[in-house]
Amino acid sequence: MRDRLQALAEAARREIAGASELPAVEALRVRYLGKKGELSGVLGGMGKLPPEERRALGEVANTVKAELEKLLAEATQRAEDAAMEAQLQGPGLDVTLPGRAVAPGSRHPVSRTMEDIVRTFSRLGFDVAAGPEIELDYFNFEALNLPKDHPARDMQDTFYVDEPSLGHAKKADSSVLLRTHTSPVQVRYMLQRKPPIRAVMPGRVYRRDSDITHTPMFHQVEGLLVDKDVTFAELKGSLDAFVKAFFGSDTRTRFRPSFFPFTEPSAEVDISCTSCGGKGCRVCKQTGWLEVLGSGMVHPNVFTSAGYDPGEVTGYAFGMGVERIAMLRYRIDDLRMMFENDARFLEQF
Amino acid sequence: MKISVKWLGDYVALPPSVDELARKLTAAGLEIEGLERPGEGLRGVVVAQIKESVQHPNADKLSVTKIDAGGDALVQVVCGAKNYKVGDKVPLATVGTKLPNGMEIKQAALRGVDSSGMLCSSKELGLSEESSGLLILSPDLKPGTPIAEALGLDDVVLEVNVTPNRPDALSHLGVAREVSVVTGAALKVPQPKLTESGTPASQSAKVRVEDSVRCPRYAARVVENVTIKPSPQWMQDRLKACGVRAINNVVDITNYVNLEFGQPLHAFDLDKLGGQEIVVRAAKKGEKLTTLDGKERTLDQEELVICDRDRPQALAGVMGGGDSEVTEKTTRLLLESANFLGSGVRRAAKRHALHTEASHRFERGADLDAVVPAIERAAQLLIELAGGTVAPGLIDLYPAEKPPRQVTLRFARVEKVLGVAVPEAEVRRILEALGFQKLAESAGQATYSVPRARVDVEREEDLLEEVARVFGYDNIPAKLPRGLASLAPEPAHSEAERRLRQAMSGAGLDEVVNYSFVAPKSLEVLGLKEQPVALLNPLSVEQSVMRTSLIPGLLENLSRSVRHQVESVCLYETGRAYFRDAEGGQGTRPAAREVNRVAGLVWGLRGGGRSWTQKDARADFYDAKGAVEAVLGALRVEGVTWSPGGPSAYHPRASAEVKLADGTVLGHVGELHPRVVKALGLPEGVFVFELDTEPLYSAARLVPEYHSLPKFPAVLRDLAVVVPVELANDSVRKVILEVGRPLVEDALVFDVYTGKPIPEGKKNLAYALRYRSAERTLTDVEVTEAHQRIISEVNQRLGASLRA
Repeated sequence: MRDRLQALAEAARREIAGASELPAVEALRVRYLGKKGELSGVLGGMGKLPPEERRALGEVANTVKAELEKLLAEATQRAEDAAMEAQLQGPGLDVTLPGRAVAPGSRHPVSRTMEDIVRTFSRLGFDVAAGPEIELDYFNFEALNLPKDHPARDMQDTFYVDEPSLGHAKKADSSVLLRTHTSPVQVRYMLQRKPPIRAVMPGRVYRRDSDITHTPMFHQVEGLLVDKDVTFAELKGSLDAFVKAFFGSDTRTRFRPSFFPFTEPSAEVDISCTSCGGKGCRVCKQTGWLEVLGSGMVHPNVFTSAGYDPGEVTGYAFGMGVERIAMLRYRIDDLRMMFENDARFLEQF
Repeated sequence: MKISVKWLGDYVALPPSVDELARKLTAAGLEIEGLERPGEGLRGVVVAQIKESVQHPNADKLSVTKIDAGGDALVQVVCGAKNYKVGDKVPLATVGTKLPNGMEIKQAALRGVDSSGMLCSSKELGLSEESSGLLILSPDLKPGTPIAEALGLDDVVLEVNVTPNRPDALSHLGVAREVSVVTGAALKVPQPKLTESGTPASQSAKVRVEDSVRCPRYAARVVENVTIKPSPQWMQDRLKACGVRAINNVVDITNYVNLEFGQPLHAFDLDKLGGQEIVVRAAKKGEKLTTLDGKERTLDQEELVICDRDRPQALAGVMGGGDSEVTEKTTRLLLESANFLGSGVRRAAKRHALHTEASHRFERGADLDAVVPAIERAAQLLIELAGGTVAPGLIDLYPAEKPPRQVTLRFARVEKVLGVAVPEAEVRRILEALGFQKLAESAGQATYSVPRARVDVEREEDLLEEVARVFGYDNIPAKLPRGLASLAPEPAHSEAERRLRQAMSGAGLDEVVNYSFVAPKSLEVLGLKEQPVALLNPLSVEQSVMRTSLIPGLLENLSRSVRHQVESVCLYETGRAYFRDAEGGQGTRPAAREVNRVAGLVWGLRGGGRSWTQKDARADFYDAKGAVEAVLGALRVEGVTWSPGGPSAYHPRASAEVKLADGTVLGHVGELHPRVVKALGLPEGVFVFELDTEPLYSAARLVPEYHSLPKFPAVLRDLAVVVPVELANDSVRKVILEVGRPLVEDALVFDVYTGKPIPEGKKNLAYALRYRSAERTLTDVEVTEAHQRIISEVNQRLGASLRA
């Protein structure tokens, strides 16, 4: 019997070594180690042997069984490895095909720029306010120290609203127009609260002008800070900080005397050219500077319109054209693209 | 306005370089927008006299000339032109010159004859578009003179952007004053001295002002024996530099003095004034006047006119009339120097669409004190340049001279407002140099009288601005505003709006910004009945009414993209729609309502374009609805209901009204009505939505509330029912959730099917039901029992049948 066991073990070793696929290994397991397998068959005759011999033979049988189990496990592993290896062969995926996802939509450059301007001022503690676009002449002009017949009204060609279309007879005191700037929001905002205040007012504005560098609608962000003893130096500091935060810390500012009816003193703010850094190029018309902001100390007449005592408070105000800033930022060379909303334009933002 | 640097130098010493002058003026508030150097391209070109000219030995068409170019020896130049004679003076481009057309002049031999330079035509010098032959110069010129100087082109012209508050700077003297203030150089004002002779002016002409409010001052002089001829070259050059065309000596003198003093003048031919009279009065309605530009104008009684005994001869402060124009035959002049009220001039100029050098100044406010110096200066020039004799007596009607304005400056305010301590002595120097005269002084303050030219200075702040701009904005430090008392409030809805944009972007929609005004037609075609707010003066009918919907803009954008072969268009816009206010406007509000909206459009291939992952699927209603749901999800607005139907722009069977849980209508989503698609020539399958954002933002739940995770496992079971095609998913779900309560946690529709083997008129809806208990693990028996109950209830209530 011992010999039969040895012969069985020998045959099994040989066959297991030759089995390379899982089903073959599994078949060998059944054949040799199964309940009705060959090892059981050999051991079936053991009952007839004397106890001593039976024990010795049992030890041999266990050794053979353990060895075959180990060999079968190894063969299984080998077969599995081979199967996986086979699976990894062959042509791979075309990894250059586009992925499966919805392309995110783009943000319009004007709206994105306006949001970024507002966010930058919110870091300086500015509230955000809005006002009507269909506005009374009073708030757009008179309350801002621009009485009728003021020559500065020439600077802003105004769209007037056909008042019968509003469903009421014309009121004599103030005509209705599309606001030409966001400045009327200043007055409305001040009328609603007491100083100190600091707020920015973004929105659409309208001027009756349409050519290569003007669109009849555009966007502005207006800013206002009112408190006791606000100085021109703080106006400079705030706008300088904004410009550096927005255009980059090495951008320089230049304040030039100018005229706005609602501020006194008034200043235009130029920034060093974002394209050439101030050396002079086509974008800055060789001057090294770009005009981006209008500003000044709030005119006493505006405080009076807003019910504030100009003897008690001072303040500064500023305004900027969003399209102009967006054009500089994204290097857009044609203003009119902004409102054509061409898909090939939009997808770039 | 254009300022000649050469001319400016008559009144004040200038900084050594023009660039420095420009920088200083800009820093003081007279922005120099540009510099013109007309003679710049003419370096190397000089005046030359032709001394000798012979036929070229080897070329029929050329001549060999000997030229005096101001040097010791004559220069030999070969020339092709024939329009000269020996002795003429012509421009010579010397060797080394680069002409404006790019040609470089080199020492050359032409057909074997040496030529040192080139004689030029005006075209070659860039002075005209066309020319034939050489430019023949004035015989008075000296050979060797640079051509730029000879032609008066050696000037630099400053383009000054004078803001509307500074009419005092609309003249060379005004700008010169600014230069003197910023550089400290002395200002030299011309002081004309007149010799009068002949009949007293009061006997030759009568002047009467009927409206001294609109004409507060009127000065006149009678000048006789004038000879009309061209004005001298220097004057013509200066006028030309300033963009004013030379006409004749008399007209040129009036223009010159205007550019010098900023005081408009007018010369009438005295012999053509009926009755030799001037009457300044309101026009009569319907009165006619032919202005100098040859146009007949009908006047109204709002307008001020300068008349003779019989009729209007000039539109006051705007333009003179043709009848009394100075002509070659004129010998006697009535010279006018007056001041007219700005608002009246502005109205008249606007009504007649006439913007003139005179109206520009009067509208902004001319200097009452310049009236007399300007007329005296002009009279002096008429003696010098037109041989005139000035009749004794200046007529000066100035009935209501007001004292100059007085403004007090508290010196401490300078630092308080500007944030920098300007030394008091410097403050005083600045104001006095600008012409403010100190009248009185007390502790810490001084009172100044304001020069009448400074119509913009009325109050202390105006003086502060004068100090600031001359002291220099650059010299004021930059400081950050002092600390905050509290945090700025988070603006209402700003976070909600941000999330809406993110959701739109995530859904693949590109943001657009469209004009707020549209064509009335674009609203009508959508069946929007509400009458829009209209503009009185639109640029075009296409932009004549305020939009009552954002959708026309999106449709316009779609058309454009389709024209450019874009295959997938997904857009949205946030902005306002504008309506008339039924309440007619209250208090400080105009009678208009502005409603914040979001609108979107989806058309074409789904997912942004063609893709290998899906076979050209086209976007449909559910893509548009999906975008809206993305927004609702981002804002966590729950309980929104969708009911079929929409306004007339929408497809009646493929649109929905969107309502908040409380019943507030947010707006609509759906396919564009085929009628609209057809009318606008759009492609089929356009899906749009438009929602009011205020109620949406108010319903947003921006801070989510946490629910603890379930402790027991869920059991999943599918349910398929066959129902009539009209039956809505919501109706089925409602029954499932109601009957299945509390064990059914959710029922998600995962398949909708019509077609075989489902009978005609029916559809199959398949739901994934999730059962769960908060207290225990559910048994199979419990779930099966609940599931059966749901099946039978759905059958019974909805006439559905379970699909095998």
